[in-house]
Amino acid sequence: MDLYKLSAYELRNLFLDKKVKATEITEYFLKRIEKNNKKLGAFLTVLSERAMQKAKELDQKNAENKPMGRLAGVPIAIKDNTHIEKEITTCASQFLTNYKAPFSATAVKLLEEQDAILVGKTNLDEFAMGSSNENSSFYPSYNPWNLDCTPGGSSGGSASAVASRISLIATGSDTGGSIRQPSAFCGVVGFKPTYGRVSRYGLVAFGSSLDQIGPIATNVKDIGLTMEVLGKHCPHDAMSLEFPAESYIENLREDLSEITVGVPWHFLESLNKEAHDNFVQSIETMKSLGANIIDVNLDILKSSIAVYYILATAEASTNLARFDGIRYGVRSKDAKNLEEVYDLSRDQGFGYEVKKRILLGTYVLSSGFQEAFYKKAQKVRTLVIQSFDAAFSNCDCICMPTAPITSFKLGTFQDPIGMYLQDIFTISANLAGLPAISVPSGFDKDNKPFGLQFLGPQLHDAPVVSYAHAYEQATKFSSKIPPLFDKEF
Amino acid sequence: MEKFNYQNLEDLQKLARIQLKDEEKKDLLESLQKIVEYIDQLDSIDTKDVACCNHVSQVQNENVVRDDVVGELLSRETLLENAPDQIGGMIRTPPIMQD
Repeated sequence: MDLYKLSAYELRNLFLDKKVKATEITEYFLKRIEKNNKKLGAFLTVLSERAMQKAKELDQKNAENKPMGRLAGVPIAIKDNTHIEKEITTCASQFLTNYKAPFSATAVKLLEEQDAILVGKTNLDEFAMGSSNENSSFYPSYNPWNLDCTPGGSSGGSASAVASRISLIATGSDTGGSIRQPSAFCGVVGFKPTYGRVSRYGLVAFGSSLDQIGPIATNVKDIGLTMEVLGKHCPHDAMSLEFPAESYIENLREDLSEITVGVPWHFLESLNKEAHDNFVQSIETMKSLGANIIDVNLDILKSSIAVYYILATAEASTNLARFDGIRYGVRSKDAKNLEEVYDLSRDQGFGYEVKKRILLGTYVLSSGFQEAFYKKAQKVRTLVIQSFDAAFSNCDCICMPTAPITSFKLGTFQDPIGMYLQDIFTISANLAGLPAISVPSGFDKDNKPFGLQFLGPQLHDAPVVSYAHAYEQATKFSSKIPPLFDKEF
Repeated sequence: MEKFNYQNLEDLQKLARIQLKDEEKKDLLESLQKIVEYIDQLDSIDTKDVACCNHVSQVQNENVVRDDVVGELLSRETLLENAPDQIGGMIRTPPIMQD
């Protein structure tokens, strides 16, 4: 049976109906990982033993007709900046090659409680800082649609694993687009929930006012299924929202009648022709589904990259101060006194991009520059939020492309600003704490996927997912499997 | 004068406690100069009477507190497992003071 072609939802039901065993599923996907991971660089660690152990327990439980979890038998990959108890969390950094997580992240705990099978830890840009996965200190990850190209970043390994169907679901973390942009580049679905919807406990912090964990899957319904498990209040994250979990699956829509979609046409002016045409076609599809399309003004988003690279680096510089070589991580062997433990461990442990962002964050917070940069950025962030509020008073959701271009060859961007500009359409959802989903919207002339993004007001997670579902059902782009991986083994 | 100069980089190394290698410095300086020039564009935006965004959640704005009781914590042994060096149940560091 071609298990890789199934959705997580279908695979779970097959397992619950006793048509396939959890051990069979696990062996099948571990074999797919073994066969393909060298090409893809998607996984940093494969948890074969842990996965098989869980599978055996599930088979036992199923045989005894005991109640099963909502994700029973589904292979899930975890981004390697999120803790799984007793396993190594590297954040793709040389600093943490020896760091054994003393506890599981809440997201991981919830997935395991619902009987998901954790198959491994996925590759990322070091400490989630990057848009191409080239900043992993181990090896880059590649795009299943074109192995010369990036899967995007920072959750590049997760998107690559899901697109190639070596895992059906993966978690990501999104600080400025790190779930959505790789999902768009790899032709899969990625969702960044409302800020506070999913607990960040056990996620290694990057920009605390922006970070959010979310799922990447092959289709929108599986996103809903995973969110019903992950979207719960957690007392260990002070920003975790104290609202009941939402129902996603029963609210999935097939059309967009009576839905008003806002499009920031002026802000999108600079799109290249191919990306523009693809976006216009998506808008036509939404119209045919009954949506009312209106123009909204979000011109302030042109400043969002500058705001982001001030606030995110400022927060990162304080968050990453904890990596000092004293309590955990790799301590420099060259350090002869305490001062050198800090200075040398941090020089040797952090990669180039991470150092750059720590230095920039330290700069914008330092005396004399704080007013001009950090506080100014906080004020412009307020303007971004106000612009979204004004837009949402006239529409139910906002649509934009996920990225200005499709996946590019590794090594394309040598200039830092050029790379940062690729986040222009994703960053604003983090600045305003909004739920946003990327769903495949077609292919360019080189058969590389485009992504379309739906954004909603805070707490409108389930509606945003439901709009994406209607679009997906009308277009079916998410059912396409990269030809190189469209075979069992 | 450049907005971001070599002296800034030297100062930041100390503040951020990263001792950069000489070969890294030239490239980092150039890159940071470009970024600082880019983020400086915010200066042209009128933010008179605009408040700083100190809190992003619009749906939950109260301070989060809990009862002041000891909860279940990770054991000392578990936490020390990740220590680069330890002695007698404590983390060991190189000398803090010189003779």
